[in-house]
Amino acid sequence: MDGIVRCSHDTVYAHDLAHAIGVPQLTFWSDVGPGGVAPAAMVGQAVAAILSGQAETVVVFRELNGRSGRRYGLADAAGDRVGGAGTYDEFFLPYGLLTPGQVFAMLARRHMAEFGTEPEHLGHIALTCRERANANPAAQMHERTMTMDDYLGSRPIAEPLRLFDFCLETDGACAVVVTSTERARDLRRPPALIRAVAQASIPDPQPGMMYPILMRDSLTELPAAAVARTLWSRAGLGPGDVDVAQLYDCFTITVLLQLEDWGFCAKGEGGPFAASGNLGPGGSLPINTAGGHLSEGYVHGMNHVLEGVRQIRGTSTSQVPGAETCLVATTPLPPGSGLLLRSDG
Amino acid sequence: MTGPAGPSRLLPVDDDLDTGPFFAAARRGELALQHCTACGLLLHVPKAYCHRCGSWETDWRVVPGRGSLLTWTVVTHQVHPAHPVPYTVVLVAVDGCGAHLVGSLPGRPELATGQPMEVWFEHLDHGVVLPNWRPVAPHE
Ligand SMILES: [Zn+2]
Repeated sequence: MDGIVRCSHDTVYAHDLAHAIGVPQLTFWSDVGPGGVAPAAMVGQAVAAILSGQAETVVVFRELNGRSGRRYGLADAAGDRVGGAGTYDEFFLPYGLLTPGQVFAMLARRHMAEFGTEPEHLGHIALTCRERANANPAAQMHERTMTMDDYLGSRPIAEPLRLFDFCLETDGACAVVVTSTERARDLRRPPALIRAVAQASIPDPQPGMMYPILMRDSLTELPAAAVARTLWSRAGLGPGDVDVAQLYDCFTITVLLQLEDWGFCAKGEGGPFAASGNLGPGGSLPINTAGGHLSEGYVHGMNHVLEGVRQIRGTSTSQVPGAETCLVATTPLPPGSGLLLRSDG
Repeated sequence: MTGPAGPSRLLPVDDDLDTGPFFAAARRGELALQHCTACGLLLHVPKAYCHRCGSWETDWRVVPGRGSLLTWTVVTHQVHPAHPVPYTVVLVAVDGCGAHLVGSLPGRPELATGQPMEVWFEHLDHGVVLPNWRPVAPHE
């Protein structure tokens, strides 16, 4: 192993990990961000390093102590004043707009107003992830079942979103090893081949970490739409070719928007699509088969990459029979990235 | 930050090189946003360069203090002592200029997307003035 790709939000640097696991010499390292939109792009960096001869074998990792250490989603407002210096937080935080959940709640409300989306539609996404987690012994919510009544009865956090629309807080770590196809075929485990990777910002990108995305004309489209166009074009495949998908799920509404933006259903139809049994085993698009952020754990999308590899290898606890193509979509906000995995031969 | 009357509001940096004119206008009782001087394009959030025509000449123009409600959230889980729940964060499309601006209302007011909103100027501690938004009163 001679390369490491790190998420720029990680507390562990490439040389920290190299030291910990005894890498003799690094020839490549890279930081990719931000947070939840990094994972597929991180794999893309490993691919680029290998294809350009800068490394032969690259570890792509993410770790966080989201429960016991730095808890995500808290207001980033510790000082006397907020904003300035290119953050643009001064336009948002003084109004009490303080967390990602509140931003996505505003997107959810807008989607409900434009398309008639209902809380139960989001509930089906939460239930789907919970059921997959119930089958996954490694999931935080493995032993905790959930009904639609449980979902609808959970306490509101930022309306229209409630507790079970939110992802978990997790202490966890995930890593994948990326190397040449030739070398991967020589190893003991069957490879998951990388058919294509893509990154994309929203058109006319806004600066800042998150809040300025509310300045866009459309409040019901994520950067996923732009990532999807690029990934499908590079892969020579489309939504109809996907056997199983791991969709970034910081919130249920994030999944619903991605179902539309990735072309699995038309814009506005994500709610009915989710509620019609499409997302479960045997459905047209089984998603988040390890339980996702909503019920497996929150490792900032890297657990979605791992579960994508498991599906291609046939080792998932909710294995989709004969799965040959898996989409890993790390496309919340502000930009996004996507990865298409394929079985070998 | 917590005094006898409760925690004070989160104050914005209001003298930033790029965004300070927004708050300077508010102190004059005006809602102003940055525009490209050459082609007139709205530049919000503020930026020094016009991506449409390539001009570096910009100015701050007073825009209508009216708009319509795009979306909102009622916050019921408290994350900061300066913002006791419940409160409502609104997103407003400003009339005539295409800008989206955020505002805040106490409690859980009755709201509907598309309803008319108006700006008002909230005087906070240390001379900070914050443009804020509320529903236009029905009798107007
Ligand atoms: Zn211009």
